[in-house]
Amino acid sequence: MLSPFNLPEGIVLLITDELNSPADFLLHRSFAEHVKSAKGAKNIVLSVSDSIARWKSIALKSNLNLAQYLASGSLEFVDVSSHIQVPTGRSDQPNLHSLFNIIQPLLEKSDHGLALVILDDISTLEWIGFSLLDITRFTRALRAACLQIGATLIIRHHIVTPGEPDDMFRYLLQICTYRLEVQPLSSGRSGTVSGEIALHSGPGTIVDGQKLIPRSLALQYKLTDNGPTFFEKGTSSGVL
Amino acid sequence: MSSFKRKSSTNSELSYPGTRTAPGNISTAITSTGIPSLDDILGGGLPLSCLLLLLAPDHHSSYGDLVQRYFVAEGLSGGHRVIVVHPNPKEFMADVMWHPKSSSSTTDLEARDTKHEASEQKIKIAWRYESMKPFQTTVVSPSSSTGDYCHAFDLSNRIPEAVVHVAINSKQLTYVGIDADGLDQISIVDMLARLSSLIESSTPKSLLRISIPSLAAPEWGDLSNLQILWFLYSLRSLLRKHPYVCASISLAPQSSTDSWGGQGWLQKLGWASDAALSMVAFSANPSLSSIFPSHHGMVHIHSLPSPHTLSVPSDRFSTLRGLSSSGENNLAFKCTRKRLIFETLHLDLEGGVSERRTAPVTDNIDLNAFAGETGNLHQHLHQTQSLDTTAVASVDVQLEEDEAASKNIPIPVALEEVRQAKPKKKKTVAFQSDRPELYDF
Repeated sequence: MLSPFNLPEGIVLLITDELNSPADFLLHRSFAEHVKSAKGAKNIVLSVSDSIARWKSIALKSNLNLAQYLASGSLEFVDVSSHIQVPTGRSDQPNLHSLFNIIQPLLEKSDHGLALVILDDISTLEWIGFSLLDITRFTRALRAACLQIGATLIIRHHIVTPGEPDDMFRYLLQICTYRLEVQPLSSGRSGTVSGEIALHSGPGTIVDGQKLIPRSLALQYKLTDNGPTFFEKGTSSGVL
Repeated sequence: MSSFKRKSSTNSELSYPGTRTAPGNISTAITSTGIPSLDDILGGGLPLSCLLLLLAPDHHSSYGDLVQRYFVAEGLSGGHRVIVVHPNPKEFMADVMWHPKSSSSTTDLEARDTKHEASEQKIKIAWRYESMKPFQTTVVSPSSSTGDYCHAFDLSNRIPEAVVHVAINSKQLTYVGIDADGLDQISIVDMLARLSSLIESSTPKSLLRISIPSLAAPEWGDLSNLQILWFLYSLRSLLRKHPYVCASISLAPQSSTDSWGGQGWLQKLGWASDAALSMVAFSANPSLSSIFPSHHGMVHIHSLPSPHTLSVPSDRFSTLRGLSSSGENNLAFKCTRKRLIFETLHLDLEGGVSERRTAPVTDNIDLNAFAGETGNLHQHLHQTQSLDTTAVASVDVQLEEDEAASKNIPIPVALEEVRQAKPKKKKTVAFQSDRPELYDF
């Protein structure tokens, strides 16, 4: 899974990114690869902040017609914004239980393994008023449901205070198997390098043969419309 | 069936007036914000179904409102439907700028201005650079050939009341007041419901612009940062469902800094909107405005729209940001008498000050005083007690000088030197063709 990193299936992958280096491309790339490699497998996209239109037009770039997959049922696109209630801040706190009730039957339907579940933005849920407890409960339930059927779960979290991990990040780090860290260049935006990616293992992961990427050797990438091109540090077209 | 199929554009309904397809992606329709240089930063314009958020953290200026007015003016002159959400929409609309009065007179004026400037700056350029284009810090203004995409506006002209009346009567312009009754604060949910019903009721054939100047201003009540993010999030998912709507929002100054919403607040805002920019005015900091006298503030880009692509189109197509060649340019804005301009920020001559000085200013003043006063003293050498006391501090110094002069130092020569040292009023750095010396300061 995710070709330059070659991660195993059936893991919980945490992707963290920052505003100047959004990691959308990793979500789209893992989805496209999964669709192509595991034909007929279930894909569930829980989209908090992205529209189906964007998913469709980006998938077109990798020669995927999402409408076809939606019709055949191999892709379930859940627009989270239409399923969540207004967080009022009163005693009758909304919770993400209703959202999980929608997802659970979708997961159960995927009888054969190798399913892929993508939660594209967990931080926004916290920012618009869901309590940390709500979100951790939801994530725990989602993770358990995915582990049961051997599905891969990808969660994206936005880091807004680099260097000072927030509570949500600490929690997600506990439950993840691997963490892909997408960072912008510390020297600012550049035309030739969009950002760099490091791969860390989770706290309880037994690393066997999986090559991790420390921050000091982070893999750099340049984003184009057709996807990212990866290269080692110092070998960008601007340098060579 | 042949596997080769011509890719035909299925988006025939995209052709709203006042829009064009985004560079690099035919499925994205963009519309102008009314400011050509801002359009350039956004990658050609604001894509439909996208949310532009402007932050202007300076309390004493209203650049956020100004951009909103451009947005509204562009909508009205392009024939789009416009919704203005404001505590006092009439007052807001009264200050909206409008087209230049008569295009011929302004072009005459501008032509005269440029001619004047040209004659003033008649400088000789080394031959190898003469054929190069003049250095530009911003993109060119729209010409008449661009049709109804980005209209030219003049800040010295107000929108005629008749235009506003006609727009309101024809339901082209809709006001949404903010009616927080008493101590109750405005319900975000109600506001979203109102906007939603207005969007639903509009005919999909016309483009709809939502402008919200100063969201979270005092009239909105005490909005928490959760509520602001919820509002932005819900509005954005509303826009996503309606591909003929776009919105531009300015956040109230006090909510536009990290210190208000906690650490990472600006980043959160950047994630919650499609495009987020800060216009940080220099007026808050006198030292900055003296360093950059020709600009009014810095522009910080937090996020940029990419509604249908992985990469941000602005990275490739923005001239001002200049990312296609190398690192990103520093951007600043200035507001002239006629228009608001976003442009690249460069250090001036000698890395910082716009004028190059040969001597500190204070020295010149002393010399002036010295020249005048010594002249007087020379005449009344023996009446030193009845000094002209307009400048007491300099008098002390001059007495000493005078004593020195009485010890047979030729005063006239000293005076000559002083008079020659008198600085010229206007100082410019230029190479002038009619002068033999290299530089004239």
